[in-house]
Amino acid sequence: MGNKKNFFAPIKAWKYLVKKPISIPMEDIFENPREAADRYRGFHANDWEKCIGCGTCSEICPTNAIVMQEREELPDEDGSKPEKPAIDYGRCTFCGLCVDICTTNSLTMTKEYVHISKDVDDFYFLPKENGIHDIKYENAYVRDEVSELLDLKRYDMVGLEADERKDSFIEIVKGFSKETAIAEASRCVECGICTKTCPATMNIPEYILSIWKDDLEEGVDWLYKTNPLPGVCGRICTHKCETACALGNRGEAVSIRWLKRYIVDNTPEEDYEKVVLANVSKGGEGKVAIVGAGPAGISAGYYLRTMGYEVDIFEAMPLAGGVMRYGIPQYRLPDYSLDKDISFIEKIGVKIHTNTQVGKDIQLEELHSKYDVVFLGTGFFGARGLNIPNSDHKDVHLAMDFLPQVRDFARGVIKDIDVHKSAVVIGGGNVAFDVARSLIRLQEIKYGKSDVKLIALENEEQLPADREEYEEGMEEGIKYQLGCGPQEVMLDDKGNIKGVKGFKCLSIFDGQHRFNPQFDTSDVKMVEGTQVYVSIGQSPDYSYLDKELEEKLGITRGKITKIGKNRQVEGVDWLFAGGDIVQGPDVIHGIADGHEAAKAIDEYLMNGKNKKK
Amino acid sequence: MNSMNKIIEDIKSKYNVLNIEQPTKQQVSFDFESRDIHAILAYLKSIGWNQLTFLTCVDFIDDKEFQLVFILMNWETGITIQVRTRLDREKPLFKTIVPIFPGAKFYERDVHEFFGVEFEGNEDSKKGLFLELWDDIPPMRKDFDPQKYSDKKYAKRDYNVDFKKEGEER
Amino acid sequence: MRELKLFLGPNHPGMHGNFSVHLYVDGDIVKRARPLPGMLHRGFEKLMERRLWTNNIALIPRICVVEPDINEMVYAMGAEALGNIEVPERAHWIRMIILELARIGIHMMAFGGIGGPTGLYTGPNWAITERDLILDIFEEITGARVYHMYIVVGGVRKDLPKGIEKKIENVLDKLEGRLSEYEDLILRNSTIINRTKDNIVLPEEVARELGVTGIGLRTSSGKAYDIRKVDPYARYDQVEFEVPVANYSDAYTRLETKYKEVKQSIRIIRQVLEKMPKDGPVRAKVSTGSALKWRIPKGQVFSHIESSRGEYGYYIVSDGSRQPYRIAVRGASYPQGLLGIEKYLPGTRLDDVAIWLDTMGVCAPEIDR
Repeated sequence: MGNKKNFFAPIKAWKYLVKKPISIPMEDIFENPREAADRYRGFHANDWEKCIGCGTCSEICPTNAIVMQEREELPDEDGSKPEKPAIDYGRCTFCGLCVDICTTNSLTMTKEYVHISKDVDDFYFLPKENGIHDIKYENAYVRDEVSELLDLKRYDMVGLEADERKDSFIEIVKGFSKETAIAEASRCVECGICTKTCPATMNIPEYILSIWKDDLEEGVDWLYKTNPLPGVCGRICTHKCETACALGNRGEAVSIRWLKRYIVDNTPEEDYEKVVLANVSKGGEGKVAIVGAGPAGISAGYYLRTMGYEVDIFEAMPLAGGVMRYGIPQYRLPDYSLDKDISFIEKIGVKIHTNTQVGKDIQLEELHSKYDVVFLGTGFFGARGLNIPNSDHKDVHLAMDFLPQVRDFARGVIKDIDVHKSAVVIGGGNVAFDVARSLIRLQEIKYGKSDVKLIALENEEQLPADREEYEEGMEEGIKYQLGCGPQEVMLDDKGNIKGVKGFKCLSIFDGQHRFNPQFDTSDVKMVEGTQVYVSIGQSPDYSYLDKELEEKLGITRGKITKIGKNRQVEGVDWLFAGGDIVQGPDVIHGIADGHEAAKAIDEYLMNGKNKKK
Repeated sequence: MNSMNKIIEDIKSKYNVLNIEQPTKQQVSFDFESRDIHAILAYLKSIGWNQLTFLTCVDFIDDKEFQLVFILMNWETGITIQVRTRLDREKPLFKTIVPIFPGAKFYERDVHEFFGVEFEGNEDSKKGLFLELWDDIPPMRKDFDPQKYSDKKYAKRDYNVDFKKEGEER
Repeated sequence: MRELKLFLGPNHPGMHGNFSVHLYVDGDIVKRARPLPGMLHRGFEKLMERRLWTNNIALIPRICVVEPDINEMVYAMGAEALGNIEVPERAHWIRMIILELARIGIHMMAFGGIGGPTGLYTGPNWAITERDLILDIFEEITGARVYHMYIVVGGVRKDLPKGIEKKIENVLDKLEGRLSEYEDLILRNSTIINRTKDNIVLPEEVARELGVTGIGLRTSSGKAYDIRKVDPYARYDQVEFEVPVANYSDAYTRLETKYKEVKQSIRIIRQVLEKMPKDGPVRAKVSTGSALKWRIPKGQVFSHIESSRGEYGYYIVSDGSRQPYRIAVRGASYPQGLLGIEKYLPGTRLDDVAIWLDTMGVCAPEIDR
């Protein structure tokens, strides 16, 4: 480039002497700052209404600039933590990863970028909606689908299609493959809001991490810390954890329940046994009797045994498991899975005496005299009936009478159940769906076709059953009549049932949240069917208690009320209780109760004087 | 691509190659015994890989080995070659390559300072370079924990100040 | 003969970043020189091993202040090679815009920056203005002016904002319009010519011996040794540009080459704007799950690109976990910045030392890391 030396060339620059400068004057920098670009990564703003305190921003922060601060004024609820992120701008690099990964969309970065102070502590803020100076600035850097750092979609669980599954009791869900399980596990952000919400406070992020690391032995260890029935819970738990999961705010919750099941189903037997057996210690001395081998009883038994106590469980039925064995249908919870969980309970030395009904085969008083402590874990096995005209007809059945038969049918103990070609199920809970979906199967097996209708007071949004029950039931062919209150079982001239008459339900609860349904009597629905199954709730059976004890327990609406937080009956210090009869029917609550009671019993017995010998 | 296969075949036929990887289509890596390295480097230099782009080290603490990595560039073909070898982590000794690539002088010094590998024949390599008054094990070793070092060495700044409350002046 | 020891730096107007050279002089001729890096050592390599793959994007641009994007690019390229990640087509082109804008930015600064060591401060002031216009563009595209954290593993972090193409063209037009003024101010300036012509000559053998790359190697060997040509990344094989070369590498030639490269970069960006796909995805999935659990498959790779100072690369080792196992940074100016200073700075006149460091492209942060 023939650039010759030229003395005058540079002097041309002098023309800029008279031009307007393009730089920004000093005073404008503070008084009238230049507006930042639309994507500018300025100071943060955090919408407290949306923020759930999950702390994922703090996790991703490359410089540890974000610290979660606990705030007293915030409520401690399921699905959130009473914490908000505080940001140290002495460390912040303004990378915006916190915004990209925020699980709720609460965190953004604004166009605000001027902050001056001599005090270093002034650079440590808890941003609210209006940023750090309480001045509303326009949002600048926000996440979009490209900068997304979460994986919002669930990995598909393989299961049987509706027409493959509706004529048998084969388990529907097949379980994750290793690849899918690891992929699903990698979605977890380890915030722990699930743990907080789980009745049994299971170490969910920890066992999910074990799956991700492909270390299932460690996973089993985490499971048994709080739950001795992981195979059961991995299938039928009501999974409050998934409802609370932080990812559910913008996407789909992590499939926590199926991941748990993955650990149980895929850990090699030897590793499994090694972990479970290693938990037993020799600390405790004493004998505990447990009434009922349901979730609460088994859980209490397991933890007491791991503490070294001798445990005997008394169960009225021929097989252990309670509702897990005789309530929930096989297609959701197959026997082999329950057997596996219970076999480990027995392997560590818990003795389960089946076909032994307390109150009939053995008296409670006898248990009291032979054992140091008695734990009551009897369930809600009675059925609640519906008091409407003709509800005493022979073709009206109760859920809790019907479901044990279904289980026995599926395991081949009984050969036939008298199901008609058409049936009406009354109820909107999970149990009603168990009944309806079992009926579909029984009818398909018997007649090659099915006709099941389900009436519930609640409408689709209010339905207490799990969403997947509703959807899968629909796929299998259940016809719904929701928002309808049954008024009468209708009979034909020969006295056979021809259907159920109902009114449109306007509201279920009154102003004081009391159950008091209101109907539109002009809107009459006729639901046809020749059998009726009622599933509107379960009730307990306290016939094994004597009058005196029954009074001491203060039973109200079927539940024991005179009981402490540690599950010890007030005034009867050798007696503990838990599960359905304290909490109402729910498996995971039962397990949690059993664990709590075991800890309390241990404490009680360690107090030497409470032991008999 | 052709020249890529050619060099791989050539090296395989002449030297004892422990392992070959091809991380990109213009890059190949060879693992050798450490005693073979000097001959290989000299050979590669003579056939066009005349630039030592980089010399660095990786600490494979679980294998109790250091890995030396020599990266050579051939500007005519654009092919990068990684020449790698493993050293005993307890006694990390290696003969300098400065006579082959004079540019290695400071890389060796760098690796010595950060990993503790000794380069026989490069006397300067033992002098400190980046870390003035360093008083711990070479910091790029996996068993050096910078957080622990910093906690031991410097007073902790307390971040437990409460944030500024709404409308509050300090 | 009397020998006097002088300290150049750590803060010197001719230096990029904090770097010190001990000069042993006899009269005004340097007899011995000792480079003293470490003033900027921040332990990047160690820090990177202890952060998530995603987290590192906040850290690595800080290795080079003026041209941070090269770090993001080599990091992303390395991880993509290990993970077999297919970068979406549009992302390749967007990356080229970013990289070439950054190249213009740093070249303008270095080109104008010659005013520092020669004592003519109009050049640097002008150059900073030019760079600022580019930073405005960066601010709109990436959300930050200096540390963009924009090129990420799998593509880029966000798509281009609407209408940015027009703004980029405006900036390029404005810059191009001013280039002739720069020519007058710097390349035809008698002071600069007197100080740089036939001064600080870099013979090809020395460049080869040290392992100098980039402009130094190209101006001494006369060959187009540019990674963009010999091992093209992104879509450099689909745009037309020339690599300025020369057969005689003095300070003036190297300066002039920067000026020529700015013109080529402008040419590249114009082609990119024309040829790039107008829409489509810009980021591919790195791995399953949330960024907290992203992992890169096991492997070892050296990824390199052409920075303004030559071949710039990362040696990346992954053990398949969520953090890199080891990342080693090959700063482009490492050879000339250490061995070069020690071996070839002696013989230079004291007042030319800063010109030596400047036109050889010694950049302390990438040496220190």
